Amino acid sequence: MPGQPDINQYKEFARRYGIAATPESVSRLTQLVARQDSCVDEIVRVIEKDPGLSARLLRVANPRAADESEYTVGTVDEALMRNGIGCALLLAMGTPLSLALTKTFKTMLSLDLESVDIHQLDGLRGEHMRGSIGFSGKVNGHVYLRTSSLSAKAIAAGILGLDASELGNDEIRDAAGELLNIMTGNFKSNLCDAGLDCKLQPPRVGMTDDLSTPIEPGSGLERLAFRADQIQIFIEVTANPWND
Amino acid sequence: MATKILSVDDSRTIRLIVGKAFRPYDVVLLEAANGEEGLATATRERPELIILDVTMPVMDGVTMLTKLKEDPDLKGIPVIMLTAESGRENVLQIARLGVRDYLVKPFKEDQLIEKAGRCVTLQKRPVATPA
Repeated sequence: MPGQPDINQYKEFARRYGIAATPESVSRLTQLVARQDSCVDEIVRVIEKDPGLSARLLRVANPRAADESEYTVGTVDEALMRNGIGCALLLAMGTPLSLALTKTFKTMLSLDLESVDIHQLDGLRGEHMRGSIGFSGKVNGHVYLRTSSLSAKAIAAGILGLDASELGNDEIRDAAGELLNIMTGNFKSNLCDAGLDCKLQPPRVGMTDDLSTPIEPGSGLERLAFRADQIQIFIEVTANPWND
Repeated sequence: MATKILSVDDSRTIRLIVGKAFRPYDVVLLEAANGEEGLATATRERPELIILDVTMPVMDGVTMLTKLKEDPDLKGIPVIMLTAESGRENVLQIARLGVRDYLVKPFKEDQLIEKAGRCVTLQKRPVATPA
């Protein structure tokens, strides 16, 4: 990891080029999780200070609950005790992904993408588009993006500024792949800054009717859902940390 | 005389967006899908500006930038990095190699035009008048 002069120089470059910083709570959490020997209480304090992170941790810790009234794990402390620090890493990874996805929609499609509870959406049935990017290094895992064919077409049309009728399957697939690249590029930066170096694999995009998500033994899974107009997007992150 | 700009990105989507951004301007947009193609095109065409991605197959953007800066004939061409990767190590390495600017994806076309306009002259394309 770079020392203080490097950090100051990075800040100078970031200011000059207009590069936005990762939210302080997220980079702090990533650094703590990356250390492996961090005290759980310190991680609890960082998560509890950020209502968004706390809410997401409790959602990860209660995967079967339809809403908060069904939570069996009710505190950040309990969630970390039961699920281990690995689930805090998922939070640290999901936040930059989520921020990059909503920023992409705002910037390139002029749409406000809203993060919603996965149970609030209708869900996908039958054939849909699935994109995935694997990452490997000190953290191994995958990011999956799923959306309906119609949503995929609307997203590609928005990103390219074209009418949906002008798009072929190649353009739609390439746009979905680029969306994945943007999201994962942002989250990889956050992991690498914390010392969890990893490399991204090229995106793979195709149609499938398989709704299952492969999870490696020892990996955690976080599911995120987003909505904007008629578009619904489902993101899944699986990660197996501290893979030396 | 049209300004020659080279866009190096493995994503066709990004190359299309870059092309759309420069369409109103008197620009000849050259395209390459990786660093190796980018270097060959830069050597052959001598663009006035290069817009360069980082993560690409065959040859990545950092390697292309390094080779560009080692070549006395090409090292003066201004480069704008256009990438989703804004990690400290990446930014420090790239900035030290010498880039004119750095744009993190997602981006607005206006932002790209503004940054490109600081490197080269961008003239609006004359509007065609009916005969």
